[in-house]
This record gives sequence, structure tokens and C-alpha cells, in this order.
Amino acid sequence: MFFNSFHFAIFLPIVFILYWFIGNKSKINQNFILILASYYFYSCWDYRFLFLLIFSTLLDYVSAIKIENSVTQKQRKFWLWLCISINIGFLGIFKYYNFFIASFTDLLNSVGLHSNPLLLNVILPVGISFYTFHGLSYIIDIYYKRIKPEKNFVDYSLFVSYFPLLVAGPIERATHLLPQLKVRRKFNFEKAKEGIYQIIWGLVKKVVIADTCANYSNEIFNNYNSMNSLSLLLGAVYFAFQIYGDFSGYSDIALGTSKLFGIDLLKNFNYPYFSRDIAEFWRRWHISLTTWFRDYLYIPLGGSKGSKWFQIRNVFIIFLVSGFWHGANWTFIAWGFINALYFIPLLLLNRNRNNIDAFKIGFNFSSLKIIFNIGITFAITCFAWIFFRAKTIHDALSYIKRMFTDLHFSPQYFSIERYSYELVLMLFLFIVVEWNSRTKIEPISGKYSWLKFGLCLAAIVALGVFSDYKEFIYFQF
Amino acid sequence: MKKFLLFTVKASLLLILTMIVLDFLYTVVYNNSNSRTKIDYLYNSKDQNYDVIFLGSSRVNNHFVPKIFNDNGYKTFNFGLTRSRLEESALMLKLMVERNYKIKNIILQVDLNINTNDHSEAIRSLFMPYLHQSKTIRNHYKSIPEYTKLLYIPFYRYLNYDARIGFRELYFAAIHKETNALKNDGFNPLKTNKGKLIPADLSKYYPKRNVAYEEIKAICKKNNINLIAVTTPICMATINRNYFNHISLVYPEIRHFENAVTDDTYFSTCGHLNKTGAIEFTKVIFNELFKSK
Repeated sequence: MFFNSFHFAIFLPIVFILYWFIGNKSKINQNFILILASYYFYSCWDYRFLFLLIFSTLLDYVSAIKIENSVTQKQRKFWLWLCISINIGFLGIFKYYNFFIASFTDLLNSVGLHSNPLLLNVILPVGISFYTFHGLSYIIDIYYKRIKPEKNFVDYSLFVSYFPLLVAGPIERATHLLPQLKVRRKFNFEKAKEGIYQIIWGLVKKVVIADTCANYSNEIFNNYNSMNSLSLLLGAVYFAFQIYGDFSGYSDIALGTSKLFGIDLLKNFNYPYFSRDIAEFWRRWHISLTTWFRDYLYIPLGGSKGSKWFQIRNVFIIFLVSGFWHGANWTFIAWGFINALYFIPLLLLNRNRNNIDAFKIGFNFSSLKIIFNIGITFAITCFAWIFFRAKTIHDALSYIKRMFTDLHFSPQYFSIERYSYELVLMLFLFIVVEWNSRTKIEPISGKYSWLKFGLCLAAIVALGVFSDYKEFIYFQF
Repeated sequence: MKKFLLFTVKASLLLILTMIVLDFLYTVVYNNSNSRTKIDYLYNSKDQNYDVIFLGSSRVNNHFVPKIFNDNGYKTFNFGLTRSRLEESALMLKLMVERNYKIKNIILQVDLNINTNDHSEAIRSLFMPYLHQSKTIRNHYKSIPEYTKLLYIPFYRYLNYDARIGFRELYFAAIHKETNALKNDGFNPLKTNKGKLIPADLSKYYPKRNVAYEEIKAICKKNNINLIAVTTPICMATINRNYFNHISLVYPEIRHFENAVTDDTYFSTCGHLNKTGAIEFTKVIFNELFKSK
């Protein structure tokens, strides 16, 4: 069941009615309804993996209590590492086993030792990377005594399996979400309305921007050998908007849906393509994952303390792991590596926290500089996305080589019966709308909200892609 | 909560209103367009007289040159549609009857397309703007599963088939941007492909009785139209050319022209002739089946 499916359009109102009209009397009823809804939502993909989700929930729940009840530090450590090992073990088997075996076999073959790898024919359980990280953050927080373990299994289960965030985040923290689940939620009209606006804007991003861009970028990336420089440049830009529209659209729908139930989720995107440098980009893109890695990997590794070499090592580790988190492919690792390379100069010059404040644009030189920096940051981000999107490193390098050597800039007509440049105007309009609403959560609220709401609805039905259904990209991670 | 329910009711009404308005706008634009596809041309024309028309898929669209017939005194048009199946050819013919066309001969391509009774989504979508206006189109699609939704939910048909009749196509239809669909009396020539032909693989093909073909035969009989069913050329390297022999076992009346043009230089792809090949092939067809007036 996808957020942009007819199935979800039926599911959501039913859960909403049950939640506010039947379960409204107590927090227990509300949580039970949300859990049942979440398990149903998850089982719509593959009910067999529901057992994995429940097992993972139970493991974290029991381990947390065991850590809390441990008398010695050794016992605490034992339960922590047992829980982490099993969680990472599942993730490793389902997501990375074939990658490691295939890479190891390639390595053996390259030195003349031939072997037949035992590859597993496994399906990746949807959302496993997200709910595993949920559980890990919880258990690590317990270990470091930042929070107390949750004794109520229903509340904890809901924290892990809450359907708006279950399959593609945002990756929540127990400190943020659990307190909200411990109290009865009261209906708030303004919050619910904001939720609807956010869902609608998320749908615009997904079905209008991302899915339309996908038609073009798929055509360009799949046939890059026959594309000229202009098409290849546009392909990278289209993919940049595809992945942004897809993932931030998903996050908007998730946050908006959750608001309908009176629960706030962590903000996951903050207009990342308006970043003035790559450090700011990473503070605005997939915020819940970036902060997760910062808190549970970067800081424990020493963070920005210690010598420069130490800091550089930590930056590379965090970006490489972040790339690998996205999928078992060298392309994601290369993408992480490139982003680390972008980041290092800022770190060495102590400029990685230069652009923290909000900015205003006017008719002056500093505004010109800001716009220039935004343009440069977007350009290098697009360059890195080529690795993220390509099937192999070789494809990515060939794509880039052709982009810089073909040097033909005429419009191309694709086999999908579209011209290469056709989306430029639509993307320009999208940028204008996002720019004007960059201080808000979504562009609909405020003055003339009904008019803007109507325009968004019209955009979804008239410009959306429905015949060629596309899944959310981050579901595969 | 009351306030929110009122808000959702208003939002739902706004959505429905938007869909009704858009449906109306799209339908008006498509009903006033007659230069984008052969279907809109057909729908917006009436009382035409033709000595010969060609019906079928791209293997008609790219293979039959009406000029050769027209030069010999036969008023001819190529109504072949790339990607169409016999189901869509049947609907084209029904529409011609509805639009009061007077047709003496139909040359219908029946070869690879009787491997299946399936339809083409791409071509089906092009009929959808006329669903409300044309009883013939409604009757034709009455039995498809999504018929009720297509007919009664405003804008659903445009949403469901957005790739072919969505906003982009609407825009071109609104500005009357011409395509090459109607040029050369419907013949769309293909260029010569310089590379080696990749053989078509018909090993999984087997001709079956085809509902739409039988329907076309019945319509022709009822309207006194001379139906000539033909096969069209395919390159010699095709795997399982024996398929064409099996066609005769299912429908003995089908005339065989798959070997009318055989040299690879006449082909653009294995299943499609280039312009020279199409001219050669049309000459063979004309000389075999017609005489100059």
C-alpha cells in the first residue's frame, strides 16, 4: 500500500474515523487502533515480514529492560551488543549478504581463484533499514541512560511500527515520539488542516514533480550512450528533482498523515536545494538520518574533536556508511565518498558551520553571492546524484565522460515521444513556489489558501503521472 | 472535529468540481482537434468516400503508400496505427460506419496481430476523449472492467491514460500543433537503418481465432465492403517464419504477402519496411489485387 495509491486513500479515512470516533476515549484505544492499522499497512506488502517486525520490536523491548535491570556494566554491554548484533545481523542478511558474497567472489576471481558463490534469493523486507535504526537509537539511548526503557509493550510497538513512518521514515527518536504516544491525543483542527495541506503538497511533489522527472531521467540514464551533452546534463538535473520530489514528498505525506492523528514527526527536509554549501545541504537533506549518524556514529567516533586527520577519518566513515545504508551497491558508496570529498575542504577551513543562519535576498552583492553559492552547491549535488542513480560505477563514469566530451547541445527527441527540454519550465515554476515558501512547511497555508489548495488539486489530477505507476525510491532502502 | 469534517467536505467538493471542470475542458479541446491522430481525424470527419482504406498496426502505417493507389484512380487512405491491435482496428471500422463513410475495399493486416486477442492501451487511450459523445465507442468498451469508472468518474479517463491524453497532449491539441500522422494520406515512412537487422523471434507466436477479426468480417459483410486480409513483409532472418503457414490453417482466406519484399535493404527493422520497401510492397499489392482505372 503506497501513500499515492487508491488503497491508501480508502485506508486513511477509515483509520481516522476509528481513531477519533471509537478510540478517542483513551490513549490505550488510540494506540491499539494505530498498531492494528500499522500492522495491516505493513502486511499489505508481505505479511511474512510482519513476524520480522514483531520480532525486532520484541528484541529491542526486552533488551532495553534487561539493560536497565543489569547490575554490572558487563551485563549492560552484553545486552546492548546482543541487541545490536541481531538487528544488524538481520539487516546484513536481508540487505547486504549478496553484495558481500558477490564482491568477495569478484576479488577471488581477480587473483585467479575461482569460486561459485552461494547467493541467497531473498526479498528485502520493506522499511527494514528504517525500523532497525529506530530500534538501535532507542537501545543506545537506554544504554547511555538518556532515557528510561518503555515498559508498556503496546506503546513501544507503536513507536517502532507507526505506519506513517514505518517504511521510509523519518527515523524517529524515542525522546521525541514516545512521550507523544504516552498521552491521549486531542483533536486539533489547525494541526489536522495543516496535515491535509502537507499531504496534498507531498502528493504534488511525488506525482507531479518526481514521477514526471522519472519518465525523463529513466530514459536518459537507461540510454546514456545515445544521449548528447545537453540531455545528460538535464538527466542529472531531472534525477535531482525526482529524488527530492519522491523522498521529500513521501516525508510530507508521512508528516501530514501523522498530524491527522495528533502526532508530530521529525522534519526530514528543509528545502535542501537552497543550501549555500554542502554542509548546509546535509543539514537540510534527510535530516533524521543525518542526525542519526551524527549522534550514534560521528560523535561516538570522536566527531570534530581531535586532530584534523582524525576528523577527516570520521567524516569519511560517516559519509561512506551513509552511502552504504542506502543500498548494497558500490554506486552508493561512491556517492557517499564524493560527498565526503565535498565536505572535507569546508572542514579543513573551519567553514562547515558558516551557513547556519537564515538568509534574505535583495538587490545587492551579497545576495548575488548567495545565489551563486546555491547554484554551485546544486550543481555538485547533481554531479554526485549521477553515481546514486547509475546502475554501476562504470555506467556513472561513462555517463560523466560522455557529458563532458560529446559537446552537442541540441534538443533530443526520446523514444518515449518526449523532447529532452520539456520539463524545464515546470521545474522552474516548482523552484519559484518552493523559494517563496521556504520559511514555511508547505506553500498552501496562509493567504488565498483555498485558491492554492484548488491549484494543487488541479495540478495533481492534470499533471500527475498515474498510468505509469512508480514506487517511492526510498522504499527499496 | 465538526470544523474539520466541514473542511474535508469542502475539500472533497473542490476536488470533484476541479475534476468536472478539467474533464469538460479536455473534452472540448479534444473534440475540436483533428490534426493530431488518425482517430481525431476520423472522429471529426463525416460522409467520406474511399475506394480503398488500409487498417492495422505499424505494419500498415509504415508499409502502405496510398499515393500509388491514388495515382491509379483509387481514392485511398492509410488508417494504420502504430501499436494498435485488431481490437482497435475493429473500433476504427465501427467509427467509420458511424461517421457514414462509404468504403469499397478494406485491406486489413492480419498476421502477427492474430497471435493475441488483447488490446493496446496506448491506442485505447486515444478513443477516450470521445467516450461520452460516441455511442459506438461506449458500446465497444462496455465489457471492459474499468468501463463504469471511465464513463462516470469525471476526468478519470484522462487521469488513467495520462501518458497519451494528459496535459502535454492537451496542450498540443489546443494549439493545433500538427503531427505527421495525416501526412502522405496516412502513410508514415521509416528511414533505412544502417545497422544489421535484429531477427524477430516468433517462436512463441501461434495464430489463434481472433474475436476482433471476426467482428471486422461481419461488419464488412453487413456494409457490403470488400475485405482483403493480408500478411505483410517481415525480414527473412525471422525466427519461426513457419508461423505464417499456420495462419492459413486458422484463416485460409488471408492472402500471403510476407515474402512480397525480401531484400534486407528494404527494411528499417526486421518487422518494418523502409520507405523504398514500402513503395515496392505497395506496388506488389496493387498489381496483385487491383487494376488501374
